[in-house]
Amino acid sequence: MRFILRRLGFYCAAFAVALTLNFFIPRLMPGDPAATLFVSLRGRMSQQSLDAMRAAYGFDGSLWDQFVAYVFRLMHGDLGVSTVNFPQPASEMLLYAAGWTLFLVGVATLLSFAVGIVFGMLAAWRRGSFFDTLFTPVNVMLNAFTPAVVALLLLYGFALQLEWFPLGRAYDIDLEPGWNMAFIASVLYHSVLPLASLVIIAIGGWHLSMRNTMINLLNEDYITLARAKGLSGRRILFRYAARNAMLPQITSLALTFGFVLGGALITEVVFNYPGLGKFTLAAIEKRDYAFIQGQLLFLTVTVLLANLIADVLNLLLDPRLRDRSELA
Amino acid sequence: MKATTKIKTRSLMACLALTASVQAAEADQNRIHGGELVLAPTQTNAHVRNFNPYNFSVGAFYAQDFIYEPLWIYNIAHPGQDFPRLAVSFETADDLRSVTYHLRPGVKWSDGQAFSADDVVFTFELAKSHPAFPVGLDIQSDSNPNGLIVSMEKVDDLTFVVRLSKPSGLAHEHIGVMYPLPRHIWKDVQDPTTFANSEPVATGPFTEVRSFSMSQFKVCRNEKYWDAGKPYIDCLKFPQYSGNDQTMLAARAGKIDWLGDGMSDPERTYVNGDKHNKYWFPAGANANLHLNTHKAPFNSLPFRQAFSMALNRRFILDVATFGLTTETQFPIGTGELYKDWYDAQALQPYRYLMEYNPKRAKALLDENGFVDRDGDGWRDNPDGSPIEFKLAVPSGWSDWVNTMMTVSENLRDIGVNAHLSTQDESTWFAGTTQGDFDVYIMWTKPSATPHGTYSLMFATDGLAEGRRLEQNMHGMVIPEINQALDRFAQTQDRAEQKKWLTQVHKQVAEKLPVITLFANPDWYQYNDSRFQGWVTQDNPYVRPMLHLGVPERGVHVLNLSLRKEAAAQVARQ
Repeated sequence: MRFILRRLGFYCAAFAVALTLNFFIPRLMPGDPAATLFVSLRGRMSQQSLDAMRAAYGFDGSLWDQFVAYVFRLMHGDLGVSTVNFPQPASEMLLYAAGWTLFLVGVATLLSFAVGIVFGMLAAWRRGSFFDTLFTPVNVMLNAFTPAVVALLLLYGFALQLEWFPLGRAYDIDLEPGWNMAFIASVLYHSVLPLASLVIIAIGGWHLSMRNTMINLLNEDYITLARAKGLSGRRILFRYAARNAMLPQITSLALTFGFVLGGALITEVVFNYPGLGKFTLAAIEKRDYAFIQGQLLFLTVTVLLANLIADVLNLLLDPRLRDRSELA
Repeated sequence: MKATTKIKTRSLMACLALTASVQAAEADQNRIHGGELVLAPTQTNAHVRNFNPYNFSVGAFYAQDFIYEPLWIYNIAHPGQDFPRLAVSFETADDLRSVTYHLRPGVKWSDGQAFSADDVVFTFELAKSHPAFPVGLDIQSDSNPNGLIVSMEKVDDLTFVVRLSKPSGLAHEHIGVMYPLPRHIWKDVQDPTTFANSEPVATGPFTEVRSFSMSQFKVCRNEKYWDAGKPYIDCLKFPQYSGNDQTMLAARAGKIDWLGDGMSDPERTYVNGDKHNKYWFPAGANANLHLNTHKAPFNSLPFRQAFSMALNRRFILDVATFGLTTETQFPIGTGELYKDWYDAQALQPYRYLMEYNPKRAKALLDENGFVDRDGDGWRDNPDGSPIEFKLAVPSGWSDWVNTMMTVSENLRDIGVNAHLSTQDESTWFAGTTQGDFDVYIMWTKPSATPHGTYSLMFATDGLAEGRRLEQNMHGMVIPEINQALDRFAQTQDRAEQKKWLTQVHKQVAEKLPVITLFANPDWYQYNDSRFQGWVTQDNPYVRPMLHLGVPERGVHVLNLSLRKEAAAQVARQ
C-alpha cells in the first residue's frame, strides 16, 4: 500500500510539473498564433482593431496573467479556445481526433502485440526451424523500416495502383457518421491500410522480445521437469513457457498504451486520417497554443495512468516486489 | 447649363457591365439546372460548422461570396466592368465627402425577410461597436481618428449615404466590398466575433447547409435568390483535405471540380491524370524584395540599384519558379495585373534596373565605395564594416526558396556576401511585423486599383523602430508618394488618376524602396467533365481563383452549369 501511495504522490508532482511545462513549451517557439492568424487581415484592419482582436483571442496581458488564466480555466475543465478553428473550444477537436487515434493506434497496438507474441512464441519453441529462420529476421528487418516508407508503399501499391483500398480518410465522405452497418463497414475498410502500415512495423519488436524471454524460460529447470513428467508439448508451450514469458510483455504493453494518444503522425498524414498526430502537427505549425496544451495534457495523463497501471500490474504479478514493499 | 451639384455616377458603367456579363454567359435556356460542384476548400483536419463571414479562421472562406454577397464586385481583370450585387449603383458626391448607394429592389434574405438599407446600416454599427469584428471598414473613432468612414445613414429602404472624414473618390472601394448581415438575426447576437452562425440566413446564391460532417458538407441553392433562375448548380460540396498530397491525388484523378493549388509541374502532376483537368495561371500580384532600408548597406540607393541589376530575372522566371511566373517590366513593385495603368514611356528610363547586368552592378558598387576592405573576398561598407546578410523565406515555399537561392548566388557573384535563410512559416510571418531583418521576399496586395496596393506599401502608421507591417517592410517614407496617392484618391477621372499614379511609379523606380521581381501566378485549376462556363484564358471574364478575397468567384460560380452529358449521367443514377 505504501508503495502505491508513494507512486501516487510522485505522479501528482509529475502532473503539476507537466501542466506548467505544457503552458511554457508552446510559447518558447518563435512566432505566435496572432501573427499567422492576422496575416490575412493586415491592411484591411486598423492597428486598433487588430489589438481588439488580439484581446478577443486572449493574447493580451503578461505571460504570468495568461498562465494564471490558463490554470484557472483548467481547474474548470476548460482547455481554452482553438485559434485554428476560432472560436471552437480546443477540447471538441481534441476529443474527435482522440477517438480516431484511440481506434487506429489502439487496434494497431493490440494487433501487433497479439501477432508479435504468437510469432515470438512459435519462433522460440522451434528455435532454428524454417519458421524461426524466416520470420525472425524478416520481422526484425520490418521493425527497422520507417513508417513513412511503409505507409507510402502501401498507399502507392494498394490504393493508387491496384485501387483495392481508398486513398485516405477514416470513412467514405458520402456517408453520415453513425452506428450503422454501412458506416462501420466503411470505417473498417478505410482502416485496413493505415492499420497495416502500423502493424507491419510494430510486430518485430514484440516478436523479438517474446522470443528472447521464451528462450530463456525454455532452459529453466521446471520446463525440463515438465518434459520429464511427460506433459504434452502443447501444454508445456502454453501453460508453462508462454504464460510466464507473457508477464513482462504485458507490462510493456501497458506502457505502450500510454503513448497511444501521441498518435501516428506519419500514417495519419499519408492517409489523411483524422488522428491526434496530424491535428497536433497543424496546431504546432499555426501555434494553436490551446490545442497543443490540451494534447500535451492528454498525453501526460495517459502516460502517467499507464505507468500507474504497470506499477499495479507488477505488484500483482511479482510477489518479490510485494514482499519488499511490505518489508519497507 | 452647368449642373450645380454635378454627381459622378457609376450606374451607367454598371449597366454596361450587366450586358457584358450576359454576353459572356451562354443563352440562359440552354443551361441545365442541377449538379453538385466539388470544391477544394482551405486545408483543414476537420470541418468546423462556422459560417460567420467575418471569421477568417474558418467561416469566411465559405460564407463570403457563396453564402453572403457584397454590395459590389469589382472586376479587377477588366476595370470598369464591375458586377453590382446588393447595390445597383452608387454616386460619389461632388465634394467627395459622401457616397450614396442604391440597393437592389426585391432582394430577400433566405428566411423570407426583405433586405433593406437597415441591414447595411446595422452591419456598419456592428463593426463600429465591435472593433474586434473584422468587417474591414476603416471607421473613424476615438482610437482610430484618421478613419475614413464617419457614418452610414439610411435615406429610405433602398438608399443609404456614407459620410467620409476627408474627400475621397475611392471610398467606394472600401464600402462596396462589405457583406451586409441580416439585422433581424444578428441583433440578438451577443458577440459577433465568436458567433459561429451555424445556420446562415443570407442573400447569396447558396444558403442551405446540408449533411454537415467533419469530413464533408454541402451548401445548397437559395430558392429565394434575387437573380431568378440562378444559380444553375444545386449544391457546393466541400470535402475535407488536410494536406497537399491528398488534395493532389484527388484532383489528379479528376474528383475535384475547382481548386487553386500551387503546382510546380501542372502538366505532369495534374493534367496527366485526367483529360478534363485544365489549368490557367494568370499573372497575379507581384513578389518583391523588401530590403531593410533602416540599416547599411540597404540605406544606400546605389547599393539597391546594384542589387537590382545583379539579379538574373530570366533565370528566376524560367528555372527557379518553374516558368510559372510572369515578367514585370519596370522596377515599380507592380506588374502585369495593372498593365493598363503604366505609362511605359515615362518608365522606360528605369528599365535598365530590371536587366541582368552584373558588370554594371559591380562598377556601381566600386564607384560608391562598396569594395573589399578587409581582404576576406567580400565587399564591405564604405565605412569598412563588413557586409553579410540573410535572405529570409519560409521553408517549403519551393518557388520562393529557389528564387532566394538564385538571388543569393547572383549577389555572391558580384562579391556581396548574402545567405539564404529558410524559416518555419510561423516564425517568418511573425518576423514581418518586426524591424529586425535584412531582406524579405513579399507579395503585394491586389485591389480594385493600384492605389490600394501602393497605399499599403507606403502606409506610414505602421512604421516605427522595430515595427513594420507586412506590406511596408522596407521602412522607407517617401512623402512625394503619399501626396500623389492622396491626389489620386481625390479624383474620379481615370486620366487624372493615371497621371498621379505615374508620379508614384517614377518615385518607386527612382528610390527603389523595393526590388521588383516578378508577378506571381494565380493558382486556378478546374475539371470540365461535369460543368461548363469556366473562366478560361480565351474567355477571362473575371479573375478565376477560388481563394478567399477574390469576390469574383461569386460571379464565376453563377456562370457554371452542368454539361449535357453529365446531366444525363446524373439522371441515370
